[in-house]
Amino acid sequence: MEDEILSLARARGGKAEVFSADVNRTVVEFRANEFHSQESRLTRGYGLRLVRNGRVGFSSTTNPDVVEELVEAALDTAAFGKPCRFDFPGPGPKPAVTTFENRVIMLPALKMIDWGRELIDAVRARVPGLKLDVTFTRTYREIVVMNTAGLDTRFSRAEFDLSATGLIVHDGLVWIPEYDNLSAGKPPAIGPLADRIEQRAHSARSRARLATGTYPVIFMPTALPNLLIPIEVGVSGKQFEKGTSPLIGKTGQRLLDEKITITDNGLRDFGLASGPFDAEGVPRRRTALFDRGVFTGFLFDLATAGVCRAETTGSASRDFSAQPQPGTSNIELATGTARLEETLKGVREGLLVYDCIGGGQSNLLAGDVALNVSSGYRIENGVVTGRVKDAMIAGNVYEMFRNVEAVGDTERDLGTYFVPFVKFPALKVATRD
Amino acid sequence: MESLKPFLADILSGVASDYADVRLEESEQARIVYRGRDLDEIGRAFERGGCIRVFHHGNWGSASFNRVDDSLKELARDVAAQVEAMPSRPEILGEMPPFAGSVSLPEDDDPRKVPLAEKHALIRRYNDILLKTAGITTTLSMYHDVFRETAFLSTDDRYITQESVYTGFSCRAVARDGANVQDYSDSFGKTQGFSSLKNREPMVERIAKVALDLLKAEPVQAGVHDVIIDPQLAGVFAHEAFGHLSEADFLSGNERLLELMRVGTRYGREELTIVDDGTMPGERGSYRFDDEGNASGHTELIRDGVIAGHLHDRQSARRMGETPTGNARAVSYRFPPIVRMSNTYIQPRSANIEDMMDSLEHGLYVCGSRGGMTELESFTFASQYAWLVEQGRKTKLVRDVTLSGNVFETLKNIDMIGDDLVMFGGLGGCGKGGQAPLPVGLGAPHVRIRNVVIGGR
Repeated sequence: MEDEILSLARARGGKAEVFSADVNRTVVEFRANEFHSQESRLTRGYGLRLVRNGRVGFSSTTNPDVVEELVEAALDTAAFGKPCRFDFPGPGPKPAVTTFENRVIMLPALKMIDWGRELIDAVRARVPGLKLDVTFTRTYREIVVMNTAGLDTRFSRAEFDLSATGLIVHDGLVWIPEYDNLSAGKPPAIGPLADRIEQRAHSARSRARLATGTYPVIFMPTALPNLLIPIEVGVSGKQFEKGTSPLIGKTGQRLLDEKITITDNGLRDFGLASGPFDAEGVPRRRTALFDRGVFTGFLFDLATAGVCRAETTGSASRDFSAQPQPGTSNIELATGTARLEETLKGVREGLLVYDCIGGGQSNLLAGDVALNVSSGYRIENGVVTGRVKDAMIAGNVYEMFRNVEAVGDTERDLGTYFVPFVKFPALKVATRD
Repeated sequence: MESLKPFLADILSGVASDYADVRLEESEQARIVYRGRDLDEIGRAFERGGCIRVFHHGNWGSASFNRVDDSLKELARDVAAQVEAMPSRPEILGEMPPFAGSVSLPEDDDPRKVPLAEKHALIRRYNDILLKTAGITTTLSMYHDVFRETAFLSTDDRYITQESVYTGFSCRAVARDGANVQDYSDSFGKTQGFSSLKNREPMVERIAKVALDLLKAEPVQAGVHDVIIDPQLAGVFAHEAFGHLSEADFLSGNERLLELMRVGTRYGREELTIVDDGTMPGERGSYRFDDEGNASGHTELIRDGVIAGHLHDRQSARRMGETPTGNARAVSYRFPPIVRMSNTYIQPRSANIEDMMDSLEHGLYVCGSRGGMTELESFTFASQYAWLVEQGRKTKLVRDVTLSGNVFETLKNIDMIGDDLVMFGGLGGCGKGGQAPLPVGLGAPHVRIRNVVIGGR
């Protein structure tokens, strides 16, 4: 099918690229301690990008019977398309990265149902009254990129993870999300998962008050992506191209605390965004974004690199139904030396944040965040004393990361984020209390 | 898709489970994106696919697919075999009577009949209005249309064929003054044809003006304030903060939540009525039949301050002993339906905005929405901008205004409801369960709320 589309496009236009994704996803879901459903999603789609009269056109389909219409539609759009300032890449070597574990693919869905029950039983035994939602998601993905420069490359990725959300009703509703990346084929660590849920359920039994003010705040790994998202927007070559990134002209400058090193790593084994090449067939790589606080550069795909006179960093990401955009793959924040117990002990009065909502709603381009702390706990003289309700943290992530007191010594695997905890010495927290 | 019934019946014929259904879908879309002066993206998409669901002995299984051919009968059997292998539970879905329904759109509403050049000219014109405004440095303007045909058949012989259409655009203007960068956006979208998007120049001109005004605004001080929220933000509150708690798939199975949302429980004053209505002509969240073949409806979620109803699919309705409300919706053939809102709004009352402003001695008039999120009772909404209000007068424009709180406490703190209901659609939608963006409408009149936590600097 890819061949057929490419041949027809070549005959009608000239330069062309076909991207296809064949995805087989299994979702096993428990709701409120009960098995709920098993879903399969079998999708296969094709995206065609072509160049006609120096302009780029695009169309996509999931219907294999409309190859001619697909090519016509791409040509139709090319009449208005963007001027093409890049060449499609030819064949080249593929870097090594492990994205596939056979045990994941062979695992029967009934085994996921067993694991779900085990986890629910383990949590129930520890926290009576807690209702747990559990979702196992396994995705087998085959990506093909072919183009008229002779590239014909493909890879497979098996993604498998578990997300669980505990709910208890205690002075309002308490929400306890958990996550485990299972793509490497190991069974879920039921005991430790249940322990973590129990620990937070226990802390939430008492309600703690925190007056509006400035406090030390520890962002646990699960909450940290909320602060990284604006940075991911800022490093995008798209924002560079449009002149809207606050990082323009600052390459080589120390913008963040020395303890902060952030890397985009498309070659991390079993990362949910890993692969030997990006969505344009360009080899993936490790790209430092901030090295000990120093901004080291933007992420580009072919089109943005062409406009910005830069090199692609192998950062094209896309679904078959859209044109590529530069984007992050797996984000790593390098671990530091701080131990959580010791760091907690050093806090006289502060906030421990496990989860937030509202990330992505603010002026992300400027680096602003306004987060509702949906799972936060008061720290008092080094001890977690209870759940804090209705707290908000608003600020600018570039300012926040400029002053970091401690970075945790242990990395959490969150699928596409690999991060430790981070302690900020003074953040403004707004509450009702 | 009128003649598809025999094909769909054949797919289900090998399934002996308690219940099964199959849905096929074909769609065509066009999308155009301008960033600044440059056309960033233009594309067309053709999708075809479907979804088979099987319910047996209390368990659900489903499979979505792109390949539409004779193999689907075997796929349906495979799903049934998987579901039958699951541990059984004593739950039935209940019977519904056979039904046939069909929805065809007027030809004028079909965006496939409008040349791409005309769509391109429209969004370029709106984008140019932003760009020619002094002080606007860049823009993001998007056009999107979808024409969709679906066919649905269930084993209790409910057969629906339906055409639907969405058209819309959104514009964002970015204003810059040195390091001060501010943006403002707005969006318009309906279940109507391309012509509904014409003549929207005043809306686009306002986008540029507000973005420029925001350059002069200061960040708001964090704290607790009395607020008046405008119809758009109040609509987001109705949808995000309260509407999701009314979705019964999430309630059923959790006794404590059911207790919180029990019909008859009071959460607001007499004046407060919140409605979900999928039958409103042309609104972004409107449809005739949901994805289980039930007609859309008008459901009062809160009537006169008291919980009055819930939104249901077949399963949740049966579990709670209530009636399906026609709210089982799937964002596309790739997903089985889940309980979703349609058009959710706060019913207007008698207060006019001038009197409401006069009543505010010290507070904020908060406008527009950058989005909202909830986790159960907690919500947070980012507004586009706000005015400080002193003795009923708007004194200073402020930005970075985010509202958060507990939905039940906030509902009780609503103490004035305006007479000026406005409905909003736009290009976005709801994101529940990873099925995004599902087209929904939302709206409200102006609403006054006491003691809201405002996040700021």
